[in-house]
Amino acid sequence: MNRRYAFEGIKVADFTWVGVGPITTKYLADHGATVVRIESHTRPDVLRLAPPWRDGQPGLNRSQFFASFNTSKYGITLDLSKPVAQQLAKKLVAWADIVAESFTPKVMRHWGLDYEQLKQVNPRLIMLSTCQQGQTGPHALYPGFGQLMASLSGFYHISGWPDRPPAPPYGAYTDFIAPRFAATVLMAALDYRRRTGIGQYIDLAQYEASLHFLAPALLDYHVNGRILGREGNHSLRAAPHGAYRCQGEDRWLAISVSNDAQWQNFLAALDHPAWGQEPRFATQSLRLAHRDALDPLVEAWTVQQEAEAAAERLQRAGVPAGVVQNCLDLHQDPRLAAWGMFQYLDHPEMGPSPYEGHQFHLSKTPGELRWAAPVMGQHNEYVFTEILGLSQKEIATLIEEKVIY
Amino acid sequence: MTTPSALMAGYRMLDLCDERGMLCGKIFADMGAEVIKIEPPGGDPARLLPPFYHDEADLEKSLFWFAYQAGKKSITLNLDTADGRAIFQDLVKVADFVVESFPVGYLDSLGLGYEALSRLNPRIIVTSLTPFGDTEPGRSHQADDLILWATGGMMAIMGEQDRPPVRMNLLQSYFHAGAEAAVGTMAAHYPRECTGEGQHVVVNMQACIVWTLMNEQAYPILHGNSVQRNGVFVGSAGMRQRTVFPCKDGYITLLLAGGPLAFSLRAFIQWMDEKGMAPKWMVEKDWSMWGPATFMNAKGEEVQKEIDAIEAAVTAFLMTMTKAEIYAEALKRRILLAPVSTVADIAASEQLAARDFFVPITHEDLGETILYPGPFAKLSATPLRVAGRAPHLGEHNQEVYGKLLGYDKERLIQLRAVGAI
Repeated sequence: MNRRYAFEGIKVADFTWVGVGPITTKYLADHGATVVRIESHTRPDVLRLAPPWRDGQPGLNRSQFFASFNTSKYGITLDLSKPVAQQLAKKLVAWADIVAESFTPKVMRHWGLDYEQLKQVNPRLIMLSTCQQGQTGPHALYPGFGQLMASLSGFYHISGWPDRPPAPPYGAYTDFIAPRFAATVLMAALDYRRRTGIGQYIDLAQYEASLHFLAPALLDYHVNGRILGREGNHSLRAAPHGAYRCQGEDRWLAISVSNDAQWQNFLAALDHPAWGQEPRFATQSLRLAHRDALDPLVEAWTVQQEAEAAAERLQRAGVPAGVVQNCLDLHQDPRLAAWGMFQYLDHPEMGPSPYEGHQFHLSKTPGELRWAAPVMGQHNEYVFTEILGLSQKEIATLIEEKVIY
Repeated sequence: MTTPSALMAGYRMLDLCDERGMLCGKIFADMGAEVIKIEPPGGDPARLLPPFYHDEADLEKSLFWFAYQAGKKSITLNLDTADGRAIFQDLVKVADFVVESFPVGYLDSLGLGYEALSRLNPRIIVTSLTPFGDTEPGRSHQADDLILWATGGMMAIMGEQDRPPVRMNLLQSYFHAGAEAAVGTMAAHYPRECTGEGQHVVVNMQACIVWTLMNEQAYPILHGNSVQRNGVFVGSAGMRQRTVFPCKDGYITLLLAGGPLAFSLRAFIQWMDEKGMAPKWMVEKDWSMWGPATFMNAKGEEVQKEIDAIEAAVTAFLMTMTKAEIYAEALKRRILLAPVSTVADIAASEQLAARDFFVPITHEDLGETILYPGPFAKLSATPLRVAGRAPHLGEHNQEVYGKLLGYDKERLIQLRAVGAI
């Protein structure tokens, strides 16, 4: 294809922070768009203050949490509470194809940077606002972050064991749902504008996007009145199905057998144990009915195995299986290595640090982690001169007045 | 040109996905693309995924199927026959997207892989969902949701120390992969519309789970440690802090911390105090710096004792109220907490109601209207919409084979006879 990146030439004024917004614009940045992130020392992105840090030492430019979500972007500092900064922001909006922001709804309005005002500056503008619960409604202004949203939107309730309190997913789970929807719809809006010349405003509530990952349970409630709960590792369709203890400290193997062919493969991989012939395990529905008897028999085999070797043995026999991998395991997984899942990028303050690669690969315009996340204000010089056309003297004044700050 | 009636109006997707990728086509259907689900003549196996309408296991009553096929069309087509493959090629010539989740290399083995399809239609974009990518050694590995949750790293940090690692209910990894496939497909779509050239998109489902680990992957490299699964507790600087508290009718998620969250903690303690349930020392304490940073420099035992005392007081307070009462008051006082919602709580949300999130979809065959989750975003120029109920098996054979491909009646009868459709 006669272009290197999918979105080369596309320009984004990125006012987002924390998780959902920056992850959304990262897709565009890694695929060639010019994404300028507007930050300020007066209100640093909270992820810059969050671990893990290079060498465990905190610092605004040392957080991998921030770095992972902000590859391939330009970083500038601008104190948007100052009117001069708001005017400069509008110049950037006039330059941009897309504006993205992820504040609680009143913030951009307060700065005079809401869609109604920005489309006066740039009538073809596409603007994405993403916040927890949407731009309208009685809870619109309620602040929050991903852990709370994961709880509010039902994911905590379905995590863990039925006889215990929830065992929540690690971290801000919905922050890894909403961006998939936000990036998709932004890209579609770009194409719509290419076709028609019409830009538009997108209000993406993280709550609403996330509920699409619960849709069958929501229908089940509306239709049957059933409330989905926690089910541990039980499956309605597979047995054995679960995490089984292996040799070593806290090592586990996940195994899932969902049909007769896989069951036969499983028994063959275990060298045909006698219990494999018991009538109570003869069919999939019998195995489901007797899974509590089956699980200890499976585990009696796995506890004697080294997890990686057993996973390989089962996979080779045609049984879905895999090690319950911790993060160190992930960095040593040959499948992830072959895919390019972890990449070391050099960073001005952090040196080489591990970044995540992409979840999809494009065969002709592959995209890449073009460069490490910016340190605070790293691209002030470039953006204020090359994009906004300011003189060195003007820039010096703006720095002195803490507009560029 | 006439203005397209919807965001993706005028584009056509052939959807070959099983449950692993169904959400991708659903997202495209919501955006106004024409999405044609291609099923084997006996019906897609995902039609038998629970739960079911009135618990009646039936090819036309899976609520899982309803949820992720809404707004699509259905045709039957047997790719195992030469006629079936020829028809598929005809379809590819008039399509913009193909999305599939077959075992890696299966379409290639039928002569229907990306290279072959791009010769028929250079514009075509083929998106393949794969468990571990298209390269060895993962290429030939099999996985379902459990295995992806395990190998992707999320399972190891979910659960409790005295039990095995645990997954989340409801096949979450398939939804991550399906939604990510939508991103990848759109990322190929934009340059295609600029250059006329399509490409192959490969989604790695394991990688989709790794991405959900947030900041965790780098810990072993940068800090030399990793978190361990610890139920409702999180650890920081050697301390153990509860994140989920019991209340009268369920659970509440509440992160007690100072620093940037001190405003919330102070508001919470003031609320406790107004109800006469805040210990005096909690009211008097300076919370502005209380958190992991100060824990690091403090005596571990004393800090843990303090954390435990705070949590005991908070639990006693929350136990006097229901989830709904607590959340309503938290909204007023700007306290950062959330109920551990069930689907019933979500269905009753006044915020979702105010935004008309749930939309009624008519199932005239069942004589019923069912509430569905509505558009995932609100767009000013081209609103998204759930276009209608899921299709019956082969409901659109006539429309697609007759009108779109222009096959005559005789041809259709013959194709049916040889089992191609």
